[in-house]
Amino acid sequence: MKASIEWLNEYADIQIEPKKLGDILTMTGSKVETIEQQGGDIQNVVVGKILEIKPHINSDHLVVTKVDVGNKEILQIVTGAKNIKEGDVVPIAKDGSKLPGGVEIKTGKLRGIDSCGMMCSVGELGLDIHSYPDQIEDGIMILKPELEKNLGEDIRKVLGLNQTIFDFEITPNRPDCLSIEGLGREVAVSLDVPFKNPRKNIEEMNVPDKKDLEGLTVEITAPDLCYRYIARIVKNVKIGPSPDWMVKRLNSCGVRAINNIVDITNYVMLEMGQPMHAFDINSIEGKHITVRRAKKDEKIITLDDQERNLNENMLVIADSKKPVAIAGVMGGQNSEIESSTQTVVFESAVFYGGSIRKTAKAVGLRTEASSRYEKGLSPENALRAVNRAVELAEEIGAGKAVDGKIDVYPTKQKVSKIPLQVEKINLLLGTNISKQEMINTLQKLEMKVENDIITPPYFRQDVEQVADVAEEVLRFYGYDKLGTTLINAETTLGGKNKEQKITDIISQFLVNSGLSEICTYGFLSEKDLAKCNITGDNEYIKEAVKIQNPLSEDYTLMKPTSVPTMMQMLANNNNYKNKEVKLFDISRIYQNKENAIENGKLPQESNILTIGIYSEKEDFYTLKGLVENILELAGISKIDVRKEVNNKMYHPGRCANINVGKDIIATIGEANPLLTKNYGISQRVLLAEINIDKITKYGRKSQKYVPITKFPAVERDISMVLDENIEVGEIEKIIQKKAKKILEDARLFDIYRSEKLGKGKKSVAYSLKFRMQDRTLTDEEVNDIMKQIIAELEKNLGAELRK
Amino acid sequence: MKEQIAQIKERALNEIESATNAKILDEVRVKYLGKKGELTLILRGMGSLAPEERPIIGSLVNEVRDELENKIEERETYFENLEIERKLVEENIDVTMPSKRNNLGSVHPITQIINDVKEIFIGMGYEIADGPEVELATYNFDKLNTPPDHPARDVQDTFYITEDIVLRSQTSPVQARVMESKKPPIKIICPGAVYRSDSVDATHSPVFHQIEGLVIDKNISMADLKGTLEMFAKKCLGEKTQIRFRPHHFPFTEPSAEADVSCFVCGGKGCRVCKGEGWIELLGCGMVHPNVLRYCGIDPEEYTGFAFGFGVERIAMAKFGIDDMRLLYENDVRFLKQF
Repeated sequence: MKASIEWLNEYADIQIEPKKLGDILTMTGSKVETIEQQGGDIQNVVVGKILEIKPHINSDHLVVTKVDVGNKEILQIVTGAKNIKEGDVVPIAKDGSKLPGGVEIKTGKLRGIDSCGMMCSVGELGLDIHSYPDQIEDGIMILKPELEKNLGEDIRKVLGLNQTIFDFEITPNRPDCLSIEGLGREVAVSLDVPFKNPRKNIEEMNVPDKKDLEGLTVEITAPDLCYRYIARIVKNVKIGPSPDWMVKRLNSCGVRAINNIVDITNYVMLEMGQPMHAFDINSIEGKHITVRRAKKDEKIITLDDQERNLNENMLVIADSKKPVAIAGVMGGQNSEIESSTQTVVFESAVFYGGSIRKTAKAVGLRTEASSRYEKGLSPENALRAVNRAVELAEEIGAGKAVDGKIDVYPTKQKVSKIPLQVEKINLLLGTNISKQEMINTLQKLEMKVENDIITPPYFRQDVEQVADVAEEVLRFYGYDKLGTTLINAETTLGGKNKEQKITDIISQFLVNSGLSEICTYGFLSEKDLAKCNITGDNEYIKEAVKIQNPLSEDYTLMKPTSVPTMMQMLANNNNYKNKEVKLFDISRIYQNKENAIENGKLPQESNILTIGIYSEKEDFYTLKGLVENILELAGISKIDVRKEVNNKMYHPGRCANINVGKDIIATIGEANPLLTKNYGISQRVLLAEINIDKITKYGRKSQKYVPITKFPAVERDISMVLDENIEVGEIEKIIQKKAKKILEDARLFDIYRSEKLGKGKKSVAYSLKFRMQDRTLTDEEVNDIMKQIIAELEKNLGAELRK
Repeated sequence: MKEQIAQIKERALNEIESATNAKILDEVRVKYLGKKGELTLILRGMGSLAPEERPIIGSLVNEVRDELENKIEERETYFENLEIERKLVEENIDVTMPSKRNNLGSVHPITQIINDVKEIFIGMGYEIADGPEVELATYNFDKLNTPPDHPARDVQDTFYITEDIVLRSQTSPVQARVMESKKPPIKIICPGAVYRSDSVDATHSPVFHQIEGLVIDKNISMADLKGTLEMFAKKCLGEKTQIRFRPHHFPFTEPSAEADVSCFVCGGKGCRVCKGEGWIELLGCGMVHPNVLRYCGIDPEEYTGFAFGFGVERIAMAKFGIDDMRLLYENDVRFLKQF
């Protein structure tokens, strides 16, 4: 909301610098975004009169002029402008003048002829062409002939470009401050000066209620959406331009002038915060206005020449046949004020904000009116506004008021009664403000305080309970005076939970191991899944959480797997030609398990640690080691690594699931070459997906010290030849099964292939270490176990023992 | 006999003195003091001496033996030291040669800020709370005093999964969940990703991170809020940081405030980061709205509380001087490794 100091001054005496005022208002809740000094960047531009225009000897499109700039100074100025004639009064930028945008004008030669300045267009003066409807965009600004008497005067003064304009950020709870009146009231209380209330006479007007006015009748069939509708009429209307003072004020708020009647509606909206609508009474068929819900497929052409489709959720103002306005949003072309209009109806109505907001969004039209209505306006203010509009119409000679009003007011404004709880307010704020000080502040804000009951004024519907009162008290006590105390309450322990701790330990480990943490979006599209070889009726696709209103087609799903995102980030780095890239990501995946969403429940979210590596130096086993270390850090010792051949994102020969209990807690492996191809990465990519929630579930509960045994270990080596396709994991399982608790360690120390062994064979050698905690093992015991192990290896794996 | 001993002594001392390394010295030791050494032999041959001479000669030999041993030891130490000195000279290395080390990775700047903030609040007795990102609209809006017709619920601002399920547009729903499931005193912060329908540019992203704080107990005041945030700001941004409250409006707090901190880049003098203001808008906060307490099953007559929330990216960008938000999500290791 823009407001000029000049206009605000009508409500409160402002005797301080704009910057100071801005700071004060910001600290009382009307945040000043910018302070604009109109014409601040214009210097040395004066009023001049064109005395003669002669052709330019060297140019067809330039002319040479003589301009009187006052004080007997005549300047020769060369220009290419086409819209000037001798005798015109125009703005002249003299030698050494400055124009908006940092432009400097200096004397120079144009095609060999001296030019001692420049004639200015509206745009060159930094003005909005819309505010000067009688000017043209690509020509010199032609001033009114009577300004001839002001030759040589500063153009800013002549055009009234001397205003200081504040731009306020008004919070949505304060629609009353979307008006000069509301802001003026805030200024008065903030500066602690009297509120001058120049509209006092409006309150005192007594306009009789009528059933019909000049034959016009009004009916509201949707009182849930239209709380009040008031109509007043002005006759003998002469449509024409508004007086300068009104245009200037409209402009200061960023609103352009159109004609006197439309300008009045805008002026009242800016002054009082109540949007108004004016229409020609003759455009109302049947002279009967109905405020009703639109019919299905009803259409209206709005004032901006656009056809709008309506539906039953929208409120319209209609005559007996058709809608003439979308309530609270925009009027219809069919009832527009025209130059021939003689009788004008001023409408001042209040609608349910939520409905106006939705309608405005649905038709794609957020107007000054709708943005006020959507915040919830006061029905009490509507009457003041319409009376003010009629008063203005008479004051500027736009027409003659018809006595009486039609006032349909089915849904009365609620009045809040709030107890003044001084102690509670002080406790809530941590202050020690006296009752009297609170009452003083509230009364300045026009709240009635009687018998410790507060009644807020009609324009403060946002004040409903004690907390709201506390805020009002604090605003003028001063947010900056609020003390800083520390909570004086029961001590709480605080801290991280198990999952948070495990996550921290793991990230630290990964960083120390040379991996960089990344941060990613939760979005994906089916295209990304397809790039990762996930298509058709894959679970990931079936369980994906779909966004109804995605930002773009790249972001249609919440990611059901973290692999595509990791692949993309590796691909980014590959494109940047980064070598040896090792990344990790801790983020969520989202899975719509068992149609949760369809049943109104939330999808499953799991915290996933994803590792992605491309590097000449690393292979599957580096990754496996990394993941084993992670699990060890999390306190998981018993894991089962199983080959996984069905996961389509991975290389079927180089992928494993890591199981703990019944759960797969991690999948590790090399990306399927299809993926690396699709992402344009020429190296092998290592991937791991580790479910942090599950790690936390299985992570260690307690740590207990095991005494270091005094008894010696017995070591035995075993070497065997077996088929290439037998996994060493199988050997280890057999060793473990047979040796049970006395096995301390089984370490693979050699594996080799040779022609001598034969094709498809390999030799594997293990070093085994046995030990008992409570006594020395005998050779016989160890020999016996070794025998059992060998027998089992021969039997189950067809291993051939090497001697 | 005595003369013989004196001669041996003299020869031995000469040889010890002239030994040029440890090996020769050892040979000298064997020659005189070894099992068959000259001095040893004299001791052995004492049987042939007259009984009254034996103690005299015996003690004389032992005297000489001690002296020789001492001398040899002295020389040995000398040779050892010589050897060490030689090593010290010969084993000189170029300490400026490259090391053998693991390259370290890096923690993402957003995580770093979140970690710093967690640390500070854990120290003040806060727990870290967490909640779903795909959230019921009732937690994201209704329970936070944002009724169905509120502008924040527009599809232009919020991502919808169904009419009743959204991507959380703020971390505040975690507050509501904690209030419902736990009795006061409550002291939590909830960091996490939030989603808003903003196109990607230098200062906007449809996904960003927030940290929300909530305290509910008896007699919690707005001055406590200011004190807590001041302490946080000083710890997070530097001891000299000042904090300023300005009135504001949020549906879920009343009274509400926006908190500015003195610019941590220029210290309040005015610079590019604070746009010459000297202050940087840090966060939104306020006293938990009584309606919110009611909706979450807490009696506003008995308990009060405060809440605050801020965007992590904005702080990370200001603190690290990052001028384009997209850098945070491109994950170029040349960027990441700087943190």
